[in-house]
Amino acid sequence: MPDEAAPADHELLRRHVAGDADAFGELFRRHRDRLWAVALRTLCDPDEAADALQDAMVSAFRRAADFRGESAVTTWLHRIVVNASLDRLRRRAARPALSTGDEQAFEALVAQDGDPARTSDTRLDVDAALRLLPPQQRAVLVLVDMLGFSVADTAAILDTSPGTVKSRCARARARLLPHLAHLQGNRSPGQSVSPAQGGDTA
Amino acid sequence: MRGQMTHLDTDVLAEFRAGLITGRRGARITAHLGGCERCTALDEQLAGLRSLLASVPAPAMPDSVAQRLEVVLAAEVAQRDAVQENRAERADGDGTRESPAPRRPGGNRGFRPLTLRVLAPVAAVVVLAAGGYGLSRVNLGSSTESSTSAGSAAQGAAPTAAARAKSGGSVNAPNAGPTRGALSRPQGITAAGITVVTGHANLSHADLGQQVRAELNMPASARTTRAATSTERGCVLGLIGHHQLELVESVLFEGSPATLVVARSGARDMAWLAAPECSATHRHVLDTTSLSSGISGP
Repeated sequence: MPDEAAPADHELLRRHVAGDADAFGELFRRHRDRLWAVALRTLCDPDEAADALQDAMVSAFRRAADFRGESAVTTWLHRIVVNASLDRLRRRAARPALSTGDEQAFEALVAQDGDPARTSDTRLDVDAALRLLPPQQRAVLVLVDMLGFSVADTAAILDTSPGTVKSRCARARARLLPHLAHLQGNRSPGQSVSPAQGGDTA
Repeated sequence: MRGQMTHLDTDVLAEFRAGLITGRRGARITAHLGGCERCTALDEQLAGLRSLLASVPAPAMPDSVAQRLEVVLAAEVAQRDAVQENRAERADGDGTRESPAPRRPGGNRGFRPLTLRVLAPVAAVVVLAAGGYGLSRVNLGSSTESSTSAGSAAQGAAPTAAARAKSGGSVNAPNAGPTRGALSRPQGITAAGITVVTGHANLSHADLGQQVRAELNMPASARTTRAATSTERGCVLGLIGHHQLELVESVLFEGSPATLVVARSGARDMAWLAAPECSATHRHVLDTTSLSSGISGP
């Protein structure tokens, strides 16, 4: 990713800790779209995602000196964002549910790219289906299946074991399948699917 | 051991695909899949689900969110600078004489507050924000809205930006319209920051709108630019909120250095003349005006 001219992530973080006023901004901008995707898809709400990302950015800015280099800088950044997002979900669960958010959030999600209708339909369906998942499963699925992180990296981001990542992924996929099978072009949806979700708990 | 086994359910297949079922049980599943069309189809659907999920493009961060985060970041930087500055030296009374005491590790290209103050008199920034916001919006520091922002330094700047983002159509700038990308990307903002046109115009309060229009119409080839400092960036982003930045230019205002900032919303342009000390946390605006955009509206 970074070409020769661009300083590596850890170098930017080091400069930031040393007092460079621009280093952290450069680091954050470099990864912001992926960090945004993680927050948005984990929270399923653009406003909440923006708040979570802001919390995470400030936290990373201030705690950069704590970074020990035992993981990649991106792993560290993603972990902070995922934790900030899950924190928000927990807080939201403690609040009475808001009825207004969902449709607006959907529209915002679709509108933000001005995508052609087809992509939007797929994205809408996927976004809607993601909401069916418990947060932990959702976070794992987003990281592994949507953003392409390896099981090992995802385990590091979530501070859990690879086995847990795999099993959360499996449960999440099984749960999503009945809702998304119709998007898979040629295959006929209902016929072969028996949505057995008996043991599907968080 | 052919088709003895009952059909596989989705959970089992998903676990199998994730590598969680091995050994004899895994072998039986493999064997069953070899002879069962129904379960094979389900297995293919599971594989298809993963490609489907991978094919959904990651959403780019909306400009409004990016700008809001820049404001918060600038506030963080400013706060840290202030702390370091206080530590290094506190006497800074009349502000006219400053010795360039090195208070940072050498070699950093990071912006130094000191340097900025020296530069500032040369570079006044004019900020024009597009319509929508009246003058009341200029005094952002007095906003009573709060947010759960983790950054105490961001109080004043960030919560307001956040509130704007929420009230003003949450993710998109209202004028972003259906097209995105080159067209709607604010001219002066790049991924790396904001570009400041180094101008020499001497603007004045009378007919400010027309003078701003003239600056906007100046051909790009006639301009020289430089990157904005962190302080300038914070100032500009704090002023424009989620509106589209049109121009940041160092000018003179009534003979004194200032920064002209122009931003657009729909058919209106809003312009601010920011004082050299304007930052994300300290909004010092000398004058402001609003004009109909010569570009997109009547």
